[in-house]
Amino acid sequence: MDEAAGSPAVSRRIAPQRASLRPWLLLMPLLVFLAAFFLVPLAQVAMMSVTEPEFGFGHYASIATDGFYLRVLADTFATALLVATCCLVLGFPLAYAMAAASPNMAAAMMIVVTMSFWTSFLVRTYAWMVLLGRSGPIAALLDWIGLPHGELLFTRFSSTIAMTHILLPYMVVSLYAVLRKIEPSLLRSAASLGASPTSVLRHVVLPLAAPGVVNGLTLVFVLCLGFYVTPILLGSPREQMVAGVIGQQIEEFLNFGEASALAVVLLASTLIVLGLYHRRFGLDKLWG
Amino acid sequence: MQNHKQGHLGRRAALALGGGVVTALAAPNVRRLRAAEVLFVNTWGGIWERAAIKNLFEPFTKDTGIEIRPVSPVSFAKLAQQVRSGAYEFDVTTLGGGEIIRANQAKIIEPLEGTDLAKSPPFPGAVFQNGATSHAFATVIAYQKARYPNGAPAGWADFWDQGKFPGSRCMQRYASRVLPLGLVADGVPTDTLYPMDIDRAFRSLDKIKPATRVWWTQGQQSQQLLRDGEIDMIALWHARVLELQDEGKPVEIVWNQAQIDRAYWVVAKGTPRRDAALRYIEAALKPERLAGFCRDAMLGPLNPAAFNHLSEAEAARMPTAPAYKGKVFEQDVLNFGGDVNAVTQRFERWIGA
Repeated sequence: MDEAAGSPAVSRRIAPQRASLRPWLLLMPLLVFLAAFFLVPLAQVAMMSVTEPEFGFGHYASIATDGFYLRVLADTFATALLVATCCLVLGFPLAYAMAAASPNMAAAMMIVVTMSFWTSFLVRTYAWMVLLGRSGPIAALLDWIGLPHGELLFTRFSSTIAMTHILLPYMVVSLYAVLRKIEPSLLRSAASLGASPTSVLRHVVLPLAAPGVVNGLTLVFVLCLGFYVTPILLGSPREQMVAGVIGQQIEEFLNFGEASALAVVLLASTLIVLGLYHRRFGLDKLWG
Repeated sequence: MQNHKQGHLGRRAALALGGGVVTALAAPNVRRLRAAEVLFVNTWGGIWERAAIKNLFEPFTKDTGIEIRPVSPVSFAKLAQQVRSGAYEFDVTTLGGGEIIRANQAKIIEPLEGTDLAKSPPFPGAVFQNGATSHAFATVIAYQKARYPNGAPAGWADFWDQGKFPGSRCMQRYASRVLPLGLVADGVPTDTLYPMDIDRAFRSLDKIKPATRVWWTQGQQSQQLLRDGEIDMIALWHARVLELQDEGKPVEIVWNQAQIDRAYWVVAKGTPRRDAALRYIEAALKPERLAGFCRDAMLGPLNPAAFNHLSEAEAARMPTAPAYKGKVFEQDVLNFGGDVNAVTQRFERWIGA
């Protein structure tokens, strides 16, 4: 990072114009691609939200005053927050173990963590349906132990566990990136100075891991905002995510205007989260 | 205008090539020219697509030389979008009853007025709202055989009756299919359902809502729920139950009060391949082809003559079979009883409330 930041400063002295242009030329294909296939459609969505069926901000007004939309938006954010927290709680010990393990072991664990990416998203969702089902292994295990349980499937529990499973790798990778860099000698000196393992964790590891924690939380939170298939398939009927409502407005009602307005609201809220993150921590750190 | 220009260029190119080359390549060229005419048909994939290729597409290509390319997935929004953009991914698709009304309102399908199909329909009702009436599926009751050994549910009133048939329920998250079931369960005769009393339907649905653990949104999801025994009694498409029975799963199907959903072939408005598309939808209604398609895709033909090409055992798996007449009922999409979009919005909010 430091090297890359230093070189333009050096080369500016020699050939100020051409050297600063060169990286941009390399970026051109990507920038053109993004402009044509991402920015233009995005601008169209923003346009549609105020022009379909007629010009005005009516869609935004109805979203702001409609209890249903507000509840769905609040639900979406609450779900994303819950999933991000679960990912942190489950991901931290795993990332910590990976950082402490030998390089080969850590690589093997990383493969296991990312392996779920190789399976299609829908297959993973259906797998949870089988696992948590009435005649599935988890219910059988709970029955065998004698633990009373209600229905596991089609509850907030089942949808949260499935979304956590899908998003956990992002959290583990973010945490592993910072935990790996912690000097083992720091931990050793803390211990030799009489710190108990818990206070080493609290006063040394956690402060050093904080950037990774925030990265992971932000990443999972933002990705989760766009989820909707998993809650519809696995969650209780009451759970509705804003992305699902957007899809329905388009597929079922051909209501491009309202759907676009909702999409803009979702995008804006995501940008606000990222903006807050950027002001506090710097967006360039998001990928470790 | 554009066609004119292309024709001009084509002629010039042909002249430039010279007569000798043309003659030398004549035979393959003819084939290539014929194969160059292509029609893009939107399909549902899976067994539906295989059945369509075998029974509808291939015979059509053999008759006309027009090649058919299947395009998936089916999307109503895409149909609307391509009329707006003018770039056609598919020329022909199938629509359900509710969709065809909306498609006409949105003016996204070709009118059939004046076509051969409209002038001499092969059977009564073959043309409906600018669609070619083709086949149907049914929403039926299915249940775990072991769960209810002392008698089968006879219809939707039993589906609603949690005293007589305790256990979990599941229905499709689809207002215009579920609301009529609520009315039938509440005692409305199936022939006087429409126009629907929407408020009464919702009041009836309130009673089944607590037992409804999940509202299914995908066909395979509904099948999975029945296969795993997760749900005791479910309202789903008949083919999904037949498939499980063919696998030997202990599930039972109730044909009584099955709710029929018609499907219509339609032509995307403004497509440059309109003529081929019209020829295709006309050919797709031929009794023998339709019979084969419905047998393989587990649907019911709506051309009555198709049953002349089906055995009794095959017909027994089809909701439109003469044997089920009087037992099953149909939707009346022209006489819904309210604005479908508004009702669907209300239904979605009702589910989440």
